[in-house]
Amino acid sequence: MQPNPDSVAVVTLVALPFLAAAATPLVFRWLGERTAYYAATVALACFGLTASQYGATGTVSYAWVPAMDVSVRFYVDGLALLVGFLASGIGVLVFTYSAGYMHGEPGQAKYYTTLLAFLGSMLGVAFAADLLALYVFWELTSIASFILIGHYTGERSSRYAARKSMLITVGGGLFMLAGFLLVWSATGTFDLHALVTQPEQYRAMLRDAGLLLPAVALIGVGAAAKSAQVPLHIWLPNAMEAPTPVSAFLHSATMVKAGVYLVGRFRPFLLTDEWTLLFTVLGLLTMTVAAVLAVASTDIKELLAYSTASHLGLIVAGFGFASIYGAETGAFHILNHALFKAPLFLVAGIIAHEAGTRRIADLGGLADDLPITAAVAVVASLGMAGVPPFNGFYSKELLFESAWHAAEHAGGLAWLYPVVAVLGSVFTFLYSIRFLMLFFGEKPDALSHVHRPPASMWAPAALLGALAGLVGLGGVLATLGVAPAPIDHFVATVVGSVAAESVHGFHYYVPTHLTPAFAMSLVTIALGVVAYPFYGAIHDGVNALLAAVPPLRANWWYDSAVFGANPASVTVTDTVQNGLLRTYATWTLGAAVALTLGGYVLANVAPAVDTVTLVSAPIVLVLLVAVVAAFAVSIAPSHIAGVLTLSILGFMVAIFYILASAPDLALTQLVVETLTLVIFVLVLDRLPAFYGEIKRSRALRDGVLSVLVGATVTLTVLVTTRATPDKSIMEYYVSESIPQGGGGNIVNVILVDFRGFDTLGEISVIAMAALSVLTLIGMRERGEAS
Amino acid sequence: MRTVTRVTVPIIILVSVALFLQGHNQPGGGFIAGVLTSTAFALVYIAYGPEFLENDILGRDVDTAIEHLRHGVVADYRRLYAAGLTLAAGSGLAAVLYGYLYTDSGIPFMSQSYTFVHLPLYGELEVASALAFDLGVYAVVVGAVLTILSVVGVE
Repeated sequence: MQPNPDSVAVVTLVALPFLAAAATPLVFRWLGERTAYYAATVALACFGLTASQYGATGTVSYAWVPAMDVSVRFYVDGLALLVGFLASGIGVLVFTYSAGYMHGEPGQAKYYTTLLAFLGSMLGVAFAADLLALYVFWELTSIASFILIGHYTGERSSRYAARKSMLITVGGGLFMLAGFLLVWSATGTFDLHALVTQPEQYRAMLRDAGLLLPAVALIGVGAAAKSAQVPLHIWLPNAMEAPTPVSAFLHSATMVKAGVYLVGRFRPFLLTDEWTLLFTVLGLLTMTVAAVLAVASTDIKELLAYSTASHLGLIVAGFGFASIYGAETGAFHILNHALFKAPLFLVAGIIAHEAGTRRIADLGGLADDLPITAAVAVVASLGMAGVPPFNGFYSKELLFESAWHAAEHAGGLAWLYPVVAVLGSVFTFLYSIRFLMLFFGEKPDALSHVHRPPASMWAPAALLGALAGLVGLGGVLATLGVAPAPIDHFVATVVGSVAAESVHGFHYYVPTHLTPAFAMSLVTIALGVVAYPFYGAIHDGVNALLAAVPPLRANWWYDSAVFGANPASVTVTDTVQNGLLRTYATWTLGAAVALTLGGYVLANVAPAVDTVTLVSAPIVLVLLVAVVAAFAVSIAPSHIAGVLTLSILGFMVAIFYILASAPDLALTQLVVETLTLVIFVLVLDRLPAFYGEIKRSRALRDGVLSVLVGATVTLTVLVTTRATPDKSIMEYYVSESIPQGGGGNIVNVILVDFRGFDTLGEISVIAMAALSVLTLIGMRERGEAS
Repeated sequence: MRTVTRVTVPIIILVSVALFLQGHNQPGGGFIAGVLTSTAFALVYIAYGPEFLENDILGRDVDTAIEHLRHGVVADYRRLYAAGLTLAAGSGLAAVLYGYLYTDSGIPFMSQSYTFVHLPLYGELEVASALAFDLGVYAVVVGAVLTILSVVGVE
């Protein structure tokens, strides 16, 4: 029996970073650069709160939009806690690291505010148990990322990178939202907890509605965009424009994990054959392609970025496999990847900061000057390479295990799983060793003495590296018979929340005899060692290939689309908005008519035929006069004459209202018509008497358009009045207007009593119109408007 | 034109007041009365010019257009519709407040009570609490329409 989560702790946990972010600009004025420690304290508090919920499982819920069954629900389980620990724990270290790294940098208040808001959003993503709340937090992480990537707003490349990540991740989020809505339309619930705990029932509902595959695909696009899966991986290397702590935090440890978190979260609910096919192919492809691109990169942060995409591919592939090994792969590798990748980014930041360059070719032999950093790099890169007994090895073993398992089960083409997994891992091994070699070998002459970084920079990296080493050590101990119980237990709870299968604990160890998976690891390492001397050749070969065939690069497609859209938008603007009122009116009215009529055609509505019950001789006469007046308007020789004839039309309408026994409407129409006439006369005084002849073609176009508009309005009236509402509405007002409203004039009673709130809104609009006229016309002489 | 205006404007204003007061039981109401009152002002504008109201009736000395907007009648109109909006919102909120103070649960935005007042010459007049709201509507309409009218007119 597991305890329920404490609702106050969970809500505080998510809300605290947002409140802290709101206060940051003030705090920054007071603390200056030491704001980093303030932010670290907030993250530490979140870490403590997360830790206080360790072992709890369940939901806490507050109603938000009760009418639509939307609540702010939070859900605590192993996976949520894992992501919560990563976000807050690495948050503490990254904030501390920022104190050193961001020294003297511009825009620090903005930096810490955004980073704290990001921390809150990420915790929100991890703990949200409502699909809509999840979506909101999800997009908040994208926005925070956008601001942080574009931190150096003056740099063109920063702006390009920020825009790219925004387009891809927010666009992906919209796909995900569409997927959520499909889930909702089929199952009728936004409650993530219910979906995950009663998967069979809801999956059957989804399948019966025929929406299973679209939902999986749409949610998959969202997850792929966030987790930089091929071909949406292209934003991640550009995201390295952000300051390095941001890269470590958002683009390796947390935000990109949101995508794999989503895949893991939905795994118990949506795990089917379609799911397996989609995510294993996507994941393995990403793992391999990104590893190859990492080998081809020339910048240490670019290398790490591609490596991140590659490892996220590994996690996604793990979640794709249907066996329990798949669940274990994903769950364990999320932890391992964060533990080795975050320190590697911090190491890259130290190198860039102290050596002044990030070009791989210009670096080497750094171990002499940076011994602690080098030690961290050894542990972390060997973990990344998947070399036993470092931490990445165990989760990669699990991937090989699940790939082998799937191949054995399905046979045939499924044997590609283990082959591709090994191929991707070989490249992973190559670039990991290349990164490690930055610290060894000959030191280039151009590189003068490299300073030691301040403690606030190396300590977080060392701590993370030590944790990674500890996980690795756990496996060795397990082989010797002392199982690392806390790690096993924690990973087991995570596996429990992503597994569709039943879970019987979790253990990892260095294998002592040859299993297929271990053999695959050995093959990987052997191939890697053989291929390493040819690293330069592979690096150049891949780059030459990409340069020769641009369509191979996903970036080429992105750039062509984005930069191709510019001329198109200019053309559209010139056509639609050319500054002539006539053009605007034509397009607006034309679009309105097209949309309305199109809607009617799609909805298959037909006007009522038998609504004409009011026809009598006086009405026909009045309407005929109105029609004649309408024609007269179009041939009026001057504006004054036109307005006068137009008001004939208006007065005829008023008389029509009287005949149709609607005195209130008639009165309003009369008064408004009079006022309009007066205003026209007031304004027309200044206008030229007449503009001159118009072209025949334009007159024809306008005529056709006006007929269309008229027809649409008529049709709309017929269609909308076709529905005969319950008589009770009218009777209700007739019977209730005196007792409840105390007035005999039903129209007025409705306006000021029953719908008084609406009227308040309407008069606010009138007041606003007056204000805007005042501002636009009245205040323009003040020279502030333009 | 001026003669006609002199004769009609008082009639229009009288009619609009009548429309406003009887609105609850017969055709009329704040909106229509407001528009009608505005029409009367518009007539004055057309017949006598925009400066007439300012200089000859109110006795202010306002020369430039910008003065006219910031300190003249336009500012008064602006205050008028602001006051109207406040009155309308306030009369609705008063009911809500009343509900929270004197009944157990909140009651809707608008609620209703009314009484009869005997006015000399006019006779029996029904004063409903909705009249306050309607007065707000009236003030907003008159203020807003006249603001627009004078700003556009001065142009």
